[in-house]
Parts: sequence; C-alpha cells; structure tokens
Amino acid sequence: MFFHIYLERNMQLHPRHFGPHLRDKLISKLIQDVEGTCSGRHGFVVAVTAVETIGQGLIRDGTGYVTFPMKYQCVVFRPFKGEILESVVTMVNKMGFFAEAGPVQIFVSNHLIPDDMVFQSGDVPSYETSDGSVRIQKDSEVRLKIVGTRVDATEIFCIGTIKDDFLGLIGNPGGGA
Amino acid sequence: MGYKKYSDEEEENDEEEAEDVDEEEEEAEEEDEEEEERSRKRKYKGSQFIDDVAEEDDDDDEEEAAPRKRKHRRASEFIDDEVAVASDDDEEDIEGEEDFIQDEGIDMIEEEDRGRKHHRSMLPEDDQQENVEDLEKFIQQRYGRQEYEEFDEAETTDVEQQALLPSVKDPKLWMVKCQPGHEREASICLMQKYMDMDMHGKPLLIKSAIALDHLKGYLYVESEKEAYVREAIRGMRMILQREVKLVPIKEMTDVLSVEKKSVDIDQDTWVRVKNGVYKGDLAKVVDVDHVRQRATIKLIPRVDLQALALKMNEGSQKGGKDGDKNKPRPAPRFINIQELQDLKISVERKRDPNHAGEYFEFFGGMQFKDGYLYKGVSLKSIDSNGVVPSFDELQKFQKPSDEGGTDAMGLPSALMSKRKGQFVKGDAVIVVQGDLKNLMGYVEKVDDDDVFVRPKDKDLKGSTLAFKDRQLCKFFKTGDHVKVIAGTHEGATGMIVRVDLGSVVILSDTTKEDLKVFTANIVESSEVTSGLNKLGDYELHDLVLLDQSTVGVIVRVERDSCQVLKGNPDRAEVVTVKLRDMRKKLFDRNTNAQDRDSNVVSLKDIVRVVEGPFKGREGPVEHINRGILFIHDRHHLENGGFLCVRGMWCVALGGSRNRIDRGGRQGHTNNFNGGFRAPMNYLQSPRRSPLPFQQGGGGHGGSTFGGRQMGRRRDHGLVGTTAKIRTGPFKGYRGRVVDATDHDVRIELESQMKVVTVRRDQLSDAVGGHYYNGGGASFRESPRYGAGSETPMHPSRTPLHPAFMTPMRDPSATPIHDGMRTPMRDRAWNPHTAMNTPLRESSWDDANPSTWGNSGTPQYQPGTPGGRQYEAPTPGGRSWANTPTGSFSEAGTPSESSGPSYGIPPSPYLMGTPGGPPMTPGVASYLPSTPGGQPMTPGTGGLDPTSPASGMGGLEIENKWGLPEIMVTVRKPGEEAQVGVIQEAMPDGMSRVALGSSGEGDIIVATHAEMELVVPKTKDRIKIVSGELRRRTGKLIGIDGADGIVKMDDTLDIKILDMSSLGKMVAS
Repeated sequence: MFFHIYLERNMQLHPRHFGPHLRDKLISKLIQDVEGTCSGRHGFVVAVTAVETIGQGLIRDGTGYVTFPMKYQCVVFRPFKGEILESVVTMVNKMGFFAEAGPVQIFVSNHLIPDDMVFQSGDVPSYETSDGSVRIQKDSEVRLKIVGTRVDATEIFCIGTIKDDFLGLIGNPGGGA
Repeated sequence: MGYKKYSDEEEENDEEEAEDVDEEEEEAEEEDEEEEERSRKRKYKGSQFIDDVAEEDDDDDEEEAAPRKRKHRRASEFIDDEVAVASDDDEEDIEGEEDFIQDEGIDMIEEEDRGRKHHRSMLPEDDQQENVEDLEKFIQQRYGRQEYEEFDEAETTDVEQQALLPSVKDPKLWMVKCQPGHEREASICLMQKYMDMDMHGKPLLIKSAIALDHLKGYLYVESEKEAYVREAIRGMRMILQREVKLVPIKEMTDVLSVEKKSVDIDQDTWVRVKNGVYKGDLAKVVDVDHVRQRATIKLIPRVDLQALALKMNEGSQKGGKDGDKNKPRPAPRFINIQELQDLKISVERKRDPNHAGEYFEFFGGMQFKDGYLYKGVSLKSIDSNGVVPSFDELQKFQKPSDEGGTDAMGLPSALMSKRKGQFVKGDAVIVVQGDLKNLMGYVEKVDDDDVFVRPKDKDLKGSTLAFKDRQLCKFFKTGDHVKVIAGTHEGATGMIVRVDLGSVVILSDTTKEDLKVFTANIVESSEVTSGLNKLGDYELHDLVLLDQSTVGVIVRVERDSCQVLKGNPDRAEVVTVKLRDMRKKLFDRNTNAQDRDSNVVSLKDIVRVVEGPFKGREGPVEHINRGILFIHDRHHLENGGFLCVRGMWCVALGGSRNRIDRGGRQGHTNNFNGGFRAPMNYLQSPRRSPLPFQQGGGGHGGSTFGGRQMGRRRDHGLVGTTAKIRTGPFKGYRGRVVDATDHDVRIELESQMKVVTVRRDQLSDAVGGHYYNGGGASFRESPRYGAGSETPMHPSRTPLHPAFMTPMRDPSATPIHDGMRTPMRDRAWNPHTAMNTPLRESSWDDANPSTWGNSGTPQYQPGTPGGRQYEAPTPGGRSWANTPTGSFSEAGTPSESSGPSYGIPPSPYLMGTPGGPPMTPGVASYLPSTPGGQPMTPGTGGLDPTSPASGMGGLEIENKWGLPEIMVTVRKPGEEAQVGVIQEAMPDGMSRVALGSSGEGDIIVATHAEMELVVPKTKDRIKIVSGELRRRTGKLIGIDGADGIVKMDDTLDIKILDMSSLGKMVAS
C-alpha cells in the first residue's frame, strides 16, 4: 500500500557545499539518500514529493560538517499481509517463484501455487497447468496475495500466494493474458 | 545379580541343566555360565575346603547335609520353573532368533526371582537370628519395590516404604572394585568361599555379595564392618584388594533400586528396539498384550535376503548361525515379494489369526506385511520413553509407495508421542481431538498434564477449558514467522508456507529453502536467524579445508555437522561433514584470483559467471582458493546461494569494494582516469604494512606493499638451482634447492639422501650464476628505498631468461618492450575497471575532498608497468619475485615511459582479447608450484607485492614454521587427528610433538605437512610462527576476521598480525 507521509531526517553536509545553492544541494542529497531505501517501519521510500522545512544547521565539532534537520513529504510503499498485489515474475525455480512488485520482492512457494500447476524445468523454467493453458515464467505478470511479510531494518521480504480465487497469471511476457 | 550367601552351587548347576534344554537361545548366557563354571571348577581344585568327591558328584554333596537335601528338592522345582520360562522363550524364538539377546534381560530378572524364592524358603532354617532380620529387611525391600510395580500404589504407602529403608543399625554396603567383566564370577566365588569357610567353622562375616549388571568393575558386599569385607575378599584375584568403599546409607537403596518405568506402550506408539539387529531402529507398535508383556511391532526389515536364500537353499541352519554374530548389520529396506521370488525364497502367504486374520507373508521364520517386518517382542526389549522420531526417520518409515501416508499414519502418532511441556502461555492452539475438535484458543496456563485454553470463539469467551496436551496442537497460519526450537533445524527461522496437520513447511529466511518441521517444534517469533551458524570454531560461510586438496564453504550448519559446498567448479557438490573432519578454517582475505580477462578478483568483488554450469549467475566473491571462486548469488537457492566456479569462467564487474587488496592495478587504473587519485591507494597501504616510507614515496607503487608477509613468499627463482652451504651444521654441503623462501631454503643434499632446511644467509653465493637469481628476490625490497636507481642491476638478475635479457639490458629498447607490452595494456583500460572510477569517486567525494592532491602522475603513468612486467614472468613463469623490480626500473625510467603505450588507448577493447591469452600460461605455471600464491596475478603482483605475498600468507605458511611450545593438530594419514604440543622443531623439518593438549602424552615425530596450527582463541598465549616477529611471544587479545590483535610480551606493543601466523602456545 502506498502512503504519503511526512518524515524527518538529519542531513549532514560537507562545508564545501555551503554557498548560494546550499538548499538545492541539501535537497538533492536528501533525494539521493532516501529514495529507494527501505525502512522497516515505513516501507520503501518511493519518491520525495516536497521538502517541508529545513531547520537550522548545526556544525559538528571536529569535522566541519553541518547537520540540518529536514522534514519532507514522501510517498512510501509498504506491503501488508493480506494485500493483493500485481507483480512481475523475476525468477522461477522448483521451490517456487520470485516476483517483484516495485521495490518489494515476493516469493511464492510451490506450496502456495495451485496444485494443478507443476514446475517445468528446461530452458525457461515455468509453472504450468497440465493443459498448458496457464504458464508462469520469468517476466509473467502475476496477481498474488501477500500472506506473510518479514520486515528487517533495511528490507521487506514477502511471501505470497496465488492459491486463491482470482489470483494468478494476468499477463504473459509477450503481452496479453 | 545378587546371590545371597545361602545360594549354593547346585543352584547354578541345576540352572545349567535346565538351560541345556534350550541351549539355542541361552547360548550367550550359557557361555557366561560355563565360564563361571570353569572358574569355579578351577577354584575347586585349588580349594582346600572341599574334597574331591564334591567335585565329581553333586549328589554326594547334597547328601552331606540335611538342609541341602531340602534345597535340592526346591531346586528341582526350580528346574520346572526354568523350563517353563525356557519354553516361553522358545516361542519368542520362533518369531525371531535374534531375540535371544534381548531376552537375556528377562531371564536375569527371572533368575533373580528364583533367587528370591530360594531365599524365602531358606528363611526358617537359618539359625543366625541377626541375619534373618537383615534378610527379611532385604527381602522386604526387594519385594516392596516389586509390589510397587505390580500392584496399585495404594497398597504400599510411602510410610511403609520408608520403614524398609536401611538405617545405621543395618549392615552396610561396601563397594569393592574388581576386574571388569568378572563381577558375577567374583560374587559367585564369594558365595562359594562363604560356604566353604562356613563348613570349616570359620564363617565369613559378610551378608551378601551383589554384582549389578549395569555396573562394570564393581561389586557390592554387605557386611557390618570393612574388616570383614577385606577378610572375605582376601586372596581373590579378580577382586582388587585395596579398594573397599562404604556406600552411604542414603545411596544404599539406589544400589538395588530398579529404575521404575512408566510403561506406556500403546498401539501406534513409536518405539525403539533396545537390542539385537534392530537396535535403535524406529518401530511402530501394532499390537500390545499387556498381560503377556509382549508387543507386536512393525519395523523396516533388516534382512539379508542373499544370505537367507543361501541358508534356506542349503538347509544348513546350524552352519549359518555361527557367522551371524560377525556379519555386518544389513541395511534396513523394505521387502519386495518379487525379489524373494527371484531369490527362490519360498514365501508362505497366510492369515494370521492374531492380527484380525489379515494376510501376512511368512519366510525364514519371519512375518511380513507390505514390506514391513512384523515382529513379536517382549515389552522390555522396546523403549517407548522419549521416542521422538525425526522427520527423516518418519519419511524412511514411510514406504515410498504409499502416497500421502505421512499425514495419515506418521504424523498424528508422532504427535502422540511428542514430549510434554511443549505449550507455553500465549500459544495459539487448536483442539485436534475430542468433542471440541477444531476449537481454537490461546493457552492460558499449563499444568502437568492439563493445558488450560481460553477459546477464541466469542460465545465461549471468558471461560477457560482444560485439555490434555495430546488433544491440542499448536496452531499456525500460512505466513507466520516462526522459529524452530527443536529438531534438526533447530534455531532456523522462516515463514510458514504450508500448514499440514502436525507439521508445517517453512521457507527459511536465509537459505530460502523449504524446511519441514513439526508444529510442536516451532514458536512464533519475529527474529531472523539462519538457524545455527556456528559449530565449534567454524561459522557459516567459512572456507574450510577438508583434506589436503579439498576446500569448501560451509553452507549450512547443523547440530553436529556442517554441509560444505566443495570447491569443485564442475558441479555443485555438497557433503555433510562432521566437525572433526574439518581440518581447519582458511583465511583468504588477502587472496585474489584472475578472471577471464585476467583482471584481479578479490573478495567481495562482484563477478558474473560467463562459462560453466553456472553461466549467467553473478554475485560477490565470498572466498577464493586456488583460482576457484565461491560466489554468493542471492538468487541461487541451493546451497545457501553459494556457487563454486573457476575464476577463469568469470568476469569481474565494476564496483570492487576491496581496492586495497588489489593495490597496484587499481592505482594505475586510476591514474588514467584521474591521475590525482592514485595516491589514495598508497595512503591506505600503511594499514597493512607498517613501513613508513611508502607514504612519501608513492611513486614506488606496489613494492611499498612489501609489508610483513615478505618472509613467507616462495622464491621459485631459486628452486632447482644448486647451492652450497656456507656455514652451519651442513657447512660445505652442496645440494639442489627444492624450495625457497625469503628466509629459508630447503636443499636436497647431494651427498646424503636428505632434504635439509637452512637459512638463506647460510648459503654460499659462489654457487653458480643461478643463485644470484635467487638473490634477486631480495631485491624486491630494495626498490622501496629508491625507485629507478636499481635499473642497472637488473640485467644481471635474469640469467634464467636469456632470451629476454637483451631487451632488459637495454633500457632504450622501447620498441621491443612496446611490442610486448601492447597486449597487456588493455588491462589498464579495461572497461570494467574504468567503470569503477566514477563509483569510487563519488564515494570518496565527501569524505576526502581535498586529501588527494595530484602528484607524480607522469611517473605513475607508466602504470603500464602493469603490462610491462609480463614480459619477464610470462616466459619464465616462475620468478614473479623478480618482476616488481623489473617494473620499477621501468617506472623509474622516464625515457621508457611509454609514449607509445599511450598511443593506443582508442582501441582498448580490441586489444582486450589478446591480453588474456598471453597471460594464461603464466598463470598456469604458477598453479602447481604456488598453491596459495596463484591468485597473486602477475599483473598486479608485479606492482604490488602485497597481494601475492598476502595471497600466500592466508593459505600457506612458511614450510617450516614449527616452533617449540606451539599447539598443533597432528594428522597422520589413516589416523585420527590428535592435538599435541611441539617439543622440538628439528632442522630437517620434522618436529617432535608431545600429544595431548598440554603435551603430557606420548611423543611422536611429525612432518610439517602433518601438522596444523591450532587456531588460538582470544586471551590465549601465542607464539608467532612466521614473519619478522617469528619466535616472539605474546597474548592474543582480540580477533578481527583474519587478523589477530596481539600484545607482544617483550615490548608490550599491540600488533595486528595475520591469524595464520599465530600459533597457540602452551607453556611447558
């Protein structure tokens, strides 16, 4: 799920950047620093949308760096248990397949794949129904439900299932369902 | 077994007569008895108390005294008894001959019973009142316990029991040491002695002698005083006279207590067989007869069909029997009727009325169904206590043909026998049995047997229900994050991907593998661990040495073993290795290897596999060993994501994190991309090399990295040459150099069939021009002090490579160099390395904005030395040691500085390919001689002696590192590894090692190849075995990866040294 939230962060800036473009520099550094990161609490920071305030800088003793408290608004993405996501398969193996929904990696174990789909090894490993009508392989688009998340400080890992109504393949690599 | 003093020898004899009736099953015991008999006979002969008649005729003996007669009568009763028992046993034997061993236990107990009957009947006749009381007490004690077993607890109260306990007034028990295995013999001898002495009117003042079967080497004697005991045991050779110990009153009961077992064997319980061929095997109870104390169990047969077929066809039952004992135990496997027919074993198929008339197959006296062996055993021969079948066992027990049977039969019953105390407050549980089946709730409280559950259901909220723990099962949902708290996967965490009844499948967090575990063994947890990650001194993902030539990476740690991915690049080979089979941990932090384009690959570099079975994989290099890389690809799900590939199959991608290790190459690469960056590498080098001069003289490039490991380097330039020893014990000898390092040379003497190690400075330098070449190695250090100036010296250095001497001698011979250098140059422009630079730039940007000023760019520019040095080593292939100097001379010679070499940058890619091949031979030639040094990569090696040096350092210590007082593990081929302490390091490379961790054991002589340093732990005293500080001692105060922080003894300095150079010291 996406959220648009306020976050705060203390930015350290090297003194050589002090000058007319200090603010720009700070913002670009902020963006560089936070976008794409993941915090266990908030999820993945997708984009910084606005910088609310930049507080007064504080010179760090000994280094000359200056710390600016910054408050910014950003879009975060955090997967939840039970959430339905659409994702792209990145890897298929006999234990299941990995899919990505944006920054989050989801593993769908073969226990959570409908029983009628079996693993087909070969050049392009895939899960296939016996009649071959549904085939999940790399780059397929899959709709899945998250059944578990593991949230570390820097990573969110999910386990998904496609063993439920209306879940499963929604698009093939070539396009089309 | 206890024999009261009243027992006599008749009893034994009678017993034997009875046993003769069924000699088959009593065989083992009989042997025992026979032995006893023999020894008794011997004793008779030697005995002065008994006349010869007694020996010959037992009946005479009986007639001697009236009481005896009576006893004889009783003894015949006893025969009946025995026969009955025997026939009982016979039945058993029909079912399985192997049983006779396990039945021994029963017999013994029965024997004991007999003994008791005997005692009881004797009671009235005893004239020693005191003894009667004792005896009574004794018997009551025994019987009291038996009642306890047989009857309801209500019948004997605790108070009554208490009254039976021995007090201070009672005779004491004395523990006497005897020869192991002769306990029974000793007690019988004592009995005999008692009788004999009694007859002579000098009765022994002991009350009883008891030998316990489970207590080897001891005997209990009951008596009032120690002196009586000593008197009694005097002169008996199987009893050690000295040791007579009093058993404290409190412990007296324990001596004779029989372990009370709550026999809770029910149908479908899992049990283990206690003895026989099936000892330890998992079995399932099919039927129990509590009255007869027998059970029918179902086992995976261990039947050697071949042998059986042979036996049956020959009909030589008896003949086959003797071999039985020595035969290896057949592996358990299911019986296939087809197979039996093939082997022409006649199989009878009939109903067994005992088992609901089901059909069974009978052959060889055994009963089978569906491939399982059905076997009748006595309840005593199976163990149901704490039997928790592991998943593997259950799976094995599961006949492969029954589909999905695990859930049907294995698990619920496995759940039944699970141990108690698995529930804790707060657990989510579901009721699996009874009226309230499928009710969910949370554990509120756990009593002994009862678990109080607060139901989840709204209607029932507020009430607490009590359940037996077998009625409950922990409840988990798919997606829960759990931790395994018991079983083989203990400690692992993961998310549940599948829930079955009684078990779940977990996707491990770290290995991304499926683990199947019992719900009883997991708890909900948010923590993330890989499970066990340490075993002894080894940790998960360590590089370990399995044997002299095999290395591997630990990919999984189990409770007492590790799974190791072997260093076999051709296929992923995982072996399970026990702790003791791992020889040592390898520290390869400073090692590097070459990739396909001969780029240096160090640890943590990201590489992509372009050839071999793992083509297309990529990931950081975790370990390097002899040109083989262990890569961790997080998308690879097997073996914890580890792959083993050849360095030559990989290409290094940008973003090396371990620049320091590469030293030279990177420095030069950087020169091209941004000259000012070069010094940065050199500035870091002090970290590793304490030599101060390098900071100022960044210009000397690699050689400044010389550092501490210089001394271990092999000098292959010298190997094979003839040298003369100038001084020392081998003064005047000449020999062929077989191995050389900076400090030492191993020389095969011409006059003696012997290889000796001498210090380098003991060599005469007059031996031929070749030696000088070796000497050249020591020049490696000189360039540190001044680049360029050496140039004139070098020509003399290369006599080995006459073909190349010419260009070398003539520094102006630019065209030649140039020509040779060209192919190499691409390395400097290598696309990958070039890519690195921006990355690095940004990372250093903020941190060190102004540190790196510019500097001697023109001088470094010859970065091309990277290429240049190949000229020498490639053809020679053996003396990389010379190379650095060579390249330095180049570097220092501006005239040479490669105007031409810069001329071609526009076509680096074209040149790329030729670059690789020429090097390959060079590399290959390193392989055999310098196992550890291979990764040193001539390319950078030349400029950066550190990498080769350290490359070796991690793996190979100087060939003669042994020093006294150092603790080593000695591994002689074909023997168990033993720990020992070097006593003396002999000059010929052998060491005298005193075994034992403090050197208290035997002294053996071991070669260095058979010895390994014991890796010291923090706070251990250490001795440095290599490097400049060799022989110095200190204390290890910390370990940082492959480095140890050492506080030196003499200077009290804190030094950081490679762990491989530290030996644990045992003060002698």
